[in-house]
Amino acid sequence: MSEPTERSPYGRRKRRGGDDATNADSPRGSRLYRGETYYGRPAIKPSHWGWLIAGYYFVGGLAGGAQVVAAVADLIAPGRDRTIVRAGRYLSLAGLLASPPLLIADLQTPARFYNMLRIIRPTSPMSIGSWILTVFGLFTSLTALAQGIEDLTGSATARRVARWSGLPAAASGMLMATYTGALSTATSVPLWAAVPRALPTLFGLASTASSLAAIALVAEAAEANEETHWRIERLSLLVGLGELAAHAAILRAWHMRGVAGPLESPALSALHKFGMVGLGAIVPTAIHAAQQLTGRRTRAGTIGAATATLAGIFIERVVIVFAGNESARRPTDYLRFTQPRGGATIQCASKGNDESA
Amino acid sequence: MVERYPTAIPPRALDYTGAIMPQLMPDEAELTAGLRIVPGRTYGFFTDTSLCIGCKACEVACKEWNALPAANLGLTGESYDNTAALSATTWRHVAFVEQISAGGARVTAMQPYQSNWLMMSDVCKHCERAGCLEACPTGSLFRTEFGTVVVQQDICNGCGYCVPACPFGVITTSEVDGKAHKCTLCYDRMKGGLEPACAKACPTDSIQFGELGELQGRAERRLATLHERGVANASLYGAPGTPGTTGGIGPLHAFFLLLDRPERYGLPVAPTLPSRRVRPAILAGLATMAGIALAAAATFMGEKK
Ligand code: SF4
Repeated sequence: MSEPTERSPYGRRKRRGGDDATNADSPRGSRLYRGETYYGRPAIKPSHWGWLIAGYYFVGGLAGGAQVVAAVADLIAPGRDRTIVRAGRYLSLAGLLASPPLLIADLQTPARFYNMLRIIRPTSPMSIGSWILTVFGLFTSLTALAQGIEDLTGSATARRVARWSGLPAAASGMLMATYTGALSTATSVPLWAAVPRALPTLFGLASTASSLAAIALVAEAAEANEETHWRIERLSLLVGLGELAAHAAILRAWHMRGVAGPLESPALSALHKFGMVGLGAIVPTAIHAAQQLTGRRTRAGTIGAATATLAGIFIERVVIVFAGNESARRPTDYLRFTQPRGGATIQCASKGNDESA
Repeated sequence: MVERYPTAIPPRALDYTGAIMPQLMPDEAELTAGLRIVPGRTYGFFTDTSLCIGCKACEVACKEWNALPAANLGLTGESYDNTAALSATTWRHVAFVEQISAGGARVTAMQPYQSNWLMMSDVCKHCERAGCLEACPTGSLFRTEFGTVVVQQDICNGCGYCVPACPFGVITTSEVDGKAHKCTLCYDRMKGGLEPACAKACPTDSIQFGELGELQGRAERRLATLHERGVANASLYGAPGTPGTTGGIGPLHAFFLLLDRPERYGLPVAPTLPSRRVRPAILAGLATMAGIALAAAATFMGEKK
């Protein structure tokens, strides 16, 4: 197998003028590529995703994270933080119920939604996700049902059922909170494909942060005891610090791979800075840190932090979806992103494809 | 190899001298492409752009055979290309690259073959490992007995995930019927022993249909001939080990001989297979959630001082 440079002597080609000169913006990451495109036309097609999918990323993530928080609270100190457990399980059910309508409405042939369960394809996060949602839906419904019976009758059996079915619900909830990151990154879209690990990490943290914010609001409304509030705040602070680190890492990766272009548009730039990072992470983390350090928690502080988190993380989903579509429309981003890396050797791939299911 | 100017009429052609054919000619591809189409073997296209004259007969033949509607009726101002791109209703697209304006300077030398006006008939690559197929959650996209990638219209539910997955921007969903569409390499014609419509219509044999291995050998020989004749800028795209086959995608079943760097035709040099990112992404997500669960456990154990 010969190296492409032997056969395709781009390097020997004399530099031609024309749009080379105008397109030669930043040849970052490549010695040879000078921004050539085919009339500036997109080299890949964007997804049709928009508000519905951004909405699903938000509610699905919230549902998954809430189930994880509830299960851990129930296991670690049974009976102590009942508000967290109860709120987590009901919020999870609410997020779950909102998910399929959003997903089905997004299909271009919605009447055939059930074909999603026709096969299992491990190479497709869309297929994996359909099954995750199915399993998560079953256990989340069972858990919420048992929780409801316990709340109404005080039945110990119902409590036990909720605890045990809460475990598979939490396990599938971990996937619910993060697989949408895999769904985005397993495409050819430069902005998503450049961060295969950082994006699901950010999504997991953001999902959990939104669950905690919703739980905090419920706890505030239910006038939970101060100890419970203190624990929610503390965990929110830890998750918020993780989010700040993830935001920094992801932004660095986007710039290094030369795919951060879509975030330079005025609208997306403002939404990214003030919404996704500002409201979603900086503001709530600052409030939580202040309340933890001073040891004084105020109702306004908790409600403010929770509201900012929910708004910021919804904006985060919107920014990721729309900036990704914009990324796909920028041919120089994709053609630069797909330059050979490290030694410029193009190896031939192994043979074989999975046959049809 | 197909004889371009046969010295004798192929004997089988003499069986069909009447004005009206009584029935479909069995194994017609034997006459038009020089091979019999057998299920279980891998077929593809070798598109040799050094022979393309930009007539767009392939676009027309494809639209005719597949009953695809016209898309863009305007002018783009982009050389002779008013088709603009592959789409749900355009499965062959002839690209025109004008190199003649050297930054305003007067051109004093012309390259041989397509003399600075490059034409290339683009099509679905029918990848060895296809991003679209691996992304499809319904099994609508499948690999046929001819090694090609086809959408089953009665199963597709229009989730649209194949669209951003394709590394070459080929497959697209239609707003008319809400399903994904792309080149089928004339699955129906191949089943009937016919050569795909675009290849049959191509007047210069720029589009060559055949068994993949045979085509790859033919492409190697053509490239060597061109290099011998001083066409230093000729290169293969999508043949084993060449650009376009990177990152787990493997040899493209529809591959090309290009006369400029791939980006000029809008083709990526080193694309990757999207499904390669599934495992790292899922594992990173699970690791994050495991970390959060541990942090939650530690927090819920604690008491306020
Ligand atoms: S070129 Fe795109 S649409 Fe065609 S087989 Fe490959 S991934 Fe699928």
